[in-house]
Amino acid sequence: MRKSALKIALFASAALSFSLGGAVAETIAIKGGTVHTMGQKGVIEKGIILIEDGKIRDVGQDISIPSGAQVIDATGKVVTPGLMHGGSRLGLSEISMTKDSNEHSAQGSPFSAAFDVRYGLKSNSSVMADNRRHGLTHAITQPSGSDGIFAGSGALIALTGDAELYVAKGPMVAKLAKGGNRNVAWTKLRLIFDQVKFYTKNRSKIQRGEGPGDFLLSSFNMDALIPVVEGKQKMVLSVYSEDDLRQAISFQKETGVDLILSGATEAWKVADQLAAAKIPVLINPQSNLPENFGEIAASFSNAALLHKAGVDFAIIAGDVNHNAHTVNQMAGIAAAHGLDRDVALAAITSAPARIFGFEESLGSLEKGKTANVVIWDGDPLEVTTNSTHVLVDGVNHPLVSRRTLLRDRYLGLNKKPFAYH
Amino acid sequence: MSKIRKMIMGATLSGVAVALAFSPAVSQETQKKDEANKDRLPMVVYDKNPYPSTYKPFPSVTTVIQNATVFTGTGEKLTGASVLMENGKIVAVGTEMDVPYGAKVIDGTGKWVTPGIIDVHSHLGVYASPGHRSLSDGNEATQPVTADVWAEHSVWPQDPGFARAIAGGVTSLQILPGSANLIGGRGVTLKNVPSRTREGMKFPDAPYGMKMACGENPKRVYGKKGGPSTRMANMAGYRKAWIKARDYKQKWEAYYRDYKAGKDVKAPTQDLELETLMGVLDGEILIHNHCYRADEMVSMVNMAKEFDYKISTFHHAVESYKIADILAKEGICSAMWSDWWGFKLEAFDGVDENIPMVAAAKACAVVHSDDANGIQRLNQEMAKAWADGKNVGLDFSKAEAIQWITLNAARSLGVDDKTGSLEKGKMADVVLWSGDPFSVYSLAEKVFIDGALMYDRSNPDTFWQSDFEVGYTKKGAHQ
Repeated sequence: MRKSALKIALFASAALSFSLGGAVAETIAIKGGTVHTMGQKGVIEKGIILIEDGKIRDVGQDISIPSGAQVIDATGKVVTPGLMHGGSRLGLSEISMTKDSNEHSAQGSPFSAAFDVRYGLKSNSSVMADNRRHGLTHAITQPSGSDGIFAGSGALIALTGDAELYVAKGPMVAKLAKGGNRNVAWTKLRLIFDQVKFYTKNRSKIQRGEGPGDFLLSSFNMDALIPVVEGKQKMVLSVYSEDDLRQAISFQKETGVDLILSGATEAWKVADQLAAAKIPVLINPQSNLPENFGEIAASFSNAALLHKAGVDFAIIAGDVNHNAHTVNQMAGIAAAHGLDRDVALAAITSAPARIFGFEESLGSLEKGKTANVVIWDGDPLEVTTNSTHVLVDGVNHPLVSRRTLLRDRYLGLNKKPFAYH
Repeated sequence: MSKIRKMIMGATLSGVAVALAFSPAVSQETQKKDEANKDRLPMVVYDKNPYPSTYKPFPSVTTVIQNATVFTGTGEKLTGASVLMENGKIVAVGTEMDVPYGAKVIDGTGKWVTPGIIDVHSHLGVYASPGHRSLSDGNEATQPVTADVWAEHSVWPQDPGFARAIAGGVTSLQILPGSANLIGGRGVTLKNVPSRTREGMKFPDAPYGMKMACGENPKRVYGKKGGPSTRMANMAGYRKAWIKARDYKQKWEAYYRDYKAGKDVKAPTQDLELETLMGVLDGEILIHNHCYRADEMVSMVNMAKEFDYKISTFHHAVESYKIADILAKEGICSAMWSDWWGFKLEAFDGVDENIPMVAAAKACAVVHSDDANGIQRLNQEMAKAWADGKNVGLDFSKAEAIQWITLNAARSLGVDDKTGSLEKGKMADVVLWSGDPFSVYSLAEKVFIDGALMYDRSNPDTFWQSDFEVGYTKKGAHQ
């Protein structure tokens, strides 16, 4: 064992001050790496990615690099789109168990569907900076819950490290378990959809007090559900058991809601039905414990079996915040249990972008897309692989976070006479 | 979905208190004839092991794994090597070996062999799956010092988590009480085997552990229930307990001294709580101390000196990297996650390089899980820490890093003379991996405990299924 870490500490401090000085998207060319485009061009050996104004201008082998471009040599390395977590809490929680740094919950407020995460996002979160250095470049960030089934609207965020992190409105989030027992919850969900339809047609009258008043939700929460009921906003519904997954398929058929199912521990048992209904799912591949009576068939094989049946799915990590970046380890676990490795990589890049409706700008390294790019020193699904460069919106961020600075401070302990003893 | 977080919240908030139990038990009085005074009562000696292990190794055959890459657990890597197991023990490890007549030969070409993985921090059985309140038996959160409770009396051997853990290569594990309490009670070290009884899993002759907890959890649980509500009261709480234990120990010592001198003396009243604490002071019970912050760990070290006992291991220890030199000097292990941080303020300073930084200071580094999912992939967590260390120039060999989940863990539990490495005469606790255990794609293919093949990924007959799962799923469906 040998030590040679101090120069890294010095570099890191310098790099952080650079990043605090303001992020600028330059013209950047990444060359020499094995590029997993996750798009039509597949894998390009010794590929070049040209980035301008935060967008990918071109990808291929024969691309001329403009003079003045910053060139990053990725020879011997692997280049992928930035990783995405499709169900995170990023930007909404700095430390889980402190009251004043958590903005993800509507519990105790009058809001359910009307809750929207966009107003409470934290731009300079140390959690986001740390996830970014591990290769996570964007995420769906979600409300955690309310006093009812609907938790509110999530957002697509980019891990920019500045106030520009909000990209777009995300899905409506709903949690069946918050609705009471399963009969109560499904009845409520159907009634709410019916009532929102009625409310939409008779909104003016109802607001003047001329309509029926006994709705399950208040008018401002129903207002927030109008785009969901009309199929204009996606809805993520957390369900786990095969029975609830079947119910969800029926519910989608009845209502036409643009549905994404999350959790879906027993999805492999109804994989053919999910595929036929074209309902995508978000799964955590490490779920293999019978945590309750609705997850008794939890299995490491969930991902592989869903893929075999033709279900569209994305992989998320059980850790939704501090280590949300471990989606790649989770994809690796799915691959170890039978999922094709390319599909596993897609499940944390292109698949979530597609499932949430952002495939035009995210999820692959293709011309015109947002330049969220990661360079890795090996297989991106391997636990021993580290990122060497992370670009968000075309900005090459130093791999620095509060945690790396702390690390470097203590790696240098013996070089500093008294301060930290 | 967020199982990791659920676990933390469960272990901290829900709090079921665990107590300390003290030296092995009570109950049966041994009578010794006193020749000097026939009228005296017999000398009172309480049984220190009233719930003894009934574990017997499962049937095994002489087995040799040939031509594998072997991490011995002693820091060595052998290629093209063989491991011979006979009568439950490691008989030989090396590149040149005669295969005994009749031995079962397993081709290890392209595969890896390691010692069985040991998790020093698990709540399997005491926070079992399914995670219902009726199975929440890990924290006796009714008072801050519960040295009288023993985790083994909460362990549910039918927790489906044990069968998942063996598929991850785990052969031994310590089940600890939760961390709600200053002193949470006794832990127990188990062999990871299917059993109808708790006693049938107990690792023979493993010392007991005693759980202590620093910082936020006791403060939070008792802050509005009479205290402690501050870290300074945490310290006062431990110290008061040790003072009582010291008195108790002195009483027993005086009793034995006087009795042996022929005096007619009455034995002290047995106290379960103080008995466990006395076991620590006597060096028979090992301290496993949940503690995140560097400053608190050093206070705990000083307290151990004040009362003259040893701390085996700080658990979680997310700030061990700040005091690795002190931990090395004191000979205390740190049992750590590779990358958990930030779920509470005292975990905010956690760094990915904690484990390699501790190891670089030549302190004892252990990777632990504290999680029913994490226990299934301790090799991956070790690999992450190893790679993160390498990234900052802390360049351990894989053969060294494997010790973080094998020999160092055995040392933490006081069983390193019995397991944790592939050395002649040790228990044949062995894992055959499909590939390099530092890869996410590698899986434990065969797991041997005391030489018996307890799990074989290619043979469904070896898959365990807990009683709870019978009739619901096919054996092995969780894989």
